[in-house]
Amino acid sequence: MTRILGWLAAAGLAAGLVMAFAVAPREATQGNVQRIMYVHVPAVLVAYLAFGVVFVGSIAYLWKRAEAADRVARACAEVGLLFLGVSIATGSIWGKPTWGTWWTWDARITSVTIVFVIFLGYLLLRGMTEDPERGARYAAVLGILGALNIPLVHQSVNWWRTLHQPASMLKAGGITMPASILVPVLVNVAAFALLCAYFVVKRVRLLEAEREALA
Amino acid sequence: MSYARRALVVAWKDLLVERRSKETLNALLFFSLLLLFVFQLALGPDRERLASVLPGLLWIGFILSGLLALGRTFLLEREHDCWEGLLLAPGDKSAIYLGKLAGNLVVMVAVEALVLALFVLFFNIDITGALPGLALVIGLGTIGLAAVGTLFAAMTAHLRARELLFPVLFLPMEVPVLLGTVQATEALFLGEPLSAVSHWLQLLLAADVIYLTAGILTFDFILEG
Amino acid sequence: MPDNWGFVIAAYLLAAAAFGLYWRRLCRRERALRAARAARPGAR
Repeated sequence: MTRILGWLAAAGLAAGLVMAFAVAPREATQGNVQRIMYVHVPAVLVAYLAFGVVFVGSIAYLWKRAEAADRVARACAEVGLLFLGVSIATGSIWGKPTWGTWWTWDARITSVTIVFVIFLGYLLLRGMTEDPERGARYAAVLGILGALNIPLVHQSVNWWRTLHQPASMLKAGGITMPASILVPVLVNVAAFALLCAYFVVKRVRLLEAEREALA
Repeated sequence: MSYARRALVVAWKDLLVERRSKETLNALLFFSLLLLFVFQLALGPDRERLASVLPGLLWIGFILSGLLALGRTFLLEREHDCWEGLLLAPGDKSAIYLGKLAGNLVVMVAVEALVLALFVLFFNIDITGALPGLALVIGLGTIGLAAVGTLFAAMTAHLRARELLFPVLFLPMEVPVLLGTVQATEALFLGEPLSAVSHWLQLLLAADVIYLTAGILTFDFILEG
Repeated sequence: MPDNWGFVIAAYLLAAAAFGLYWRRLCRRERALRAARAARPGAR
C-alpha cells in the first residue's frame, strides 16, 4: 500500500518534471527562471494543506483522544515544514535573478516564513516534552492555535507591505494564468500532494513502530 | 460559585499575592526603565531617528515586559506546590484561565501605563490628542498578548526548558498583534484619526476573539496534568 | 531577460536533495527499528 503510493508519487513527479521543462512554454517576461514556479507554488500549497490536516488532527485528538489522530498531526507538521522549507528556499533562488535579492521582506515571503517558525515551534515543543501523552496534548493545542493564526498572519503582513506579484491562482476574480502554465502547475500540485501523502503515511508508520518498540 | 466568581477569585488571589510581595511588579517596572536606557543608548541621541522608530520601540518594550510577566503566570503555583490546589477547583477549568488572564492584564496594563508615561517624558512626545485611541489600541493589543501568553505559560510550566520555549512559541504567534498595534500606534502618533486605522483595530479584535476562544476551549486539556 | 538556467537547476536540485534526504532518513530509521526489534525476539 505504502509502496504503491510511493511509486505513484514518483510517477507524478516524473510527469511534473516533463510538464515543467518540456510542455510549459518559456515565460515571455521572466524567461526560463519562471520554471522554478513549478516547484515553488505546489510546495507551498501542499504545505498549507498539511497544516490544515494538523489542525483537524489536533482537534480530533483532543476530542476523541485517538492516538492515531495525534500521530497523523505530528507527521503532517513535520512533512509540511519540509515542503514549506523547500518552497521558501526555491522562492529565494527565484528572487535573486528576478528581484535582484535573495531575501526581501515582501508580504507573502514574510507571512509564509512566520508560519514556518510557528510550526517549527510545534516540533520543538514535541521534542522537549518527555511524557508522550502530555506532549500530544500540548502540541494539539499549539497546532490548533497555529493553524488558526495563519489567516491573521497573512492578513496583517499583507497590509503591512506588498511587493510580491499578486497570487495568480487563488484570487477572487478567478484564475488569470494561461492554461499552458496552469496545467503544468496543477500536475505538479498533484504530484507533490502524492509525495506528501507518501511521506505522511511512512512517518505515521514509523511513529507507530516507535511506540510499539517503547511499549 | 458561579463561573464569573470563580474566575474573579483566581484573579483576586494572584493580585493579592502580588500586592503583598510586589515581586513581579517592582522588578518589571525597573526592567522597563532599563529598557528605555538601552533603547536610548543603542540608537543614539538623534531625535529624528528616534521619533521614526518610537512606535516600534514602545511595543518592543511592552512585549519584552509582557514576556517576563506572562512567563511567570504559573510560577507561583509550581514553586509553592499549589498546582494540585488549582486543579481541585470545582467546575469548568477555563474559569482559572480567565482569572489568570485578568490578573496578567492588570499587571501588564500597569506596567504599560508607566512605560508610556516614561516614553512621553524621555522622548518628549505629545500624545494628549491620541490618548483615547492609543488606550484602545493598547487595550486590544494587551488582550491579544495575554490571551496567548497565559495559555502558553500553562503549557510550558512543566517543561525543563520553559524559559527558552515560552518566548520561542509566543513571539511568532503574536506577529499579527505586533504588526497591528505598531502600525496603529504609528498612525496615532502622527495625529491621524482613529478611523484611519479601523482595519487594524478590526484585525486586533479578530485576533483577540480567536485567541480567547481557543484559550477557553483548550485550557482544560493543558491543565489536566 | 536572460534565462538564468543555473538558478533553475539549483532550485530543482535543492528540492530533490531535500525530499531525497528526508526519504532516506525515514527509511534508515525504519530499518534501524526493525533491526532493534529483531535483536530482542522476546519483546513481542
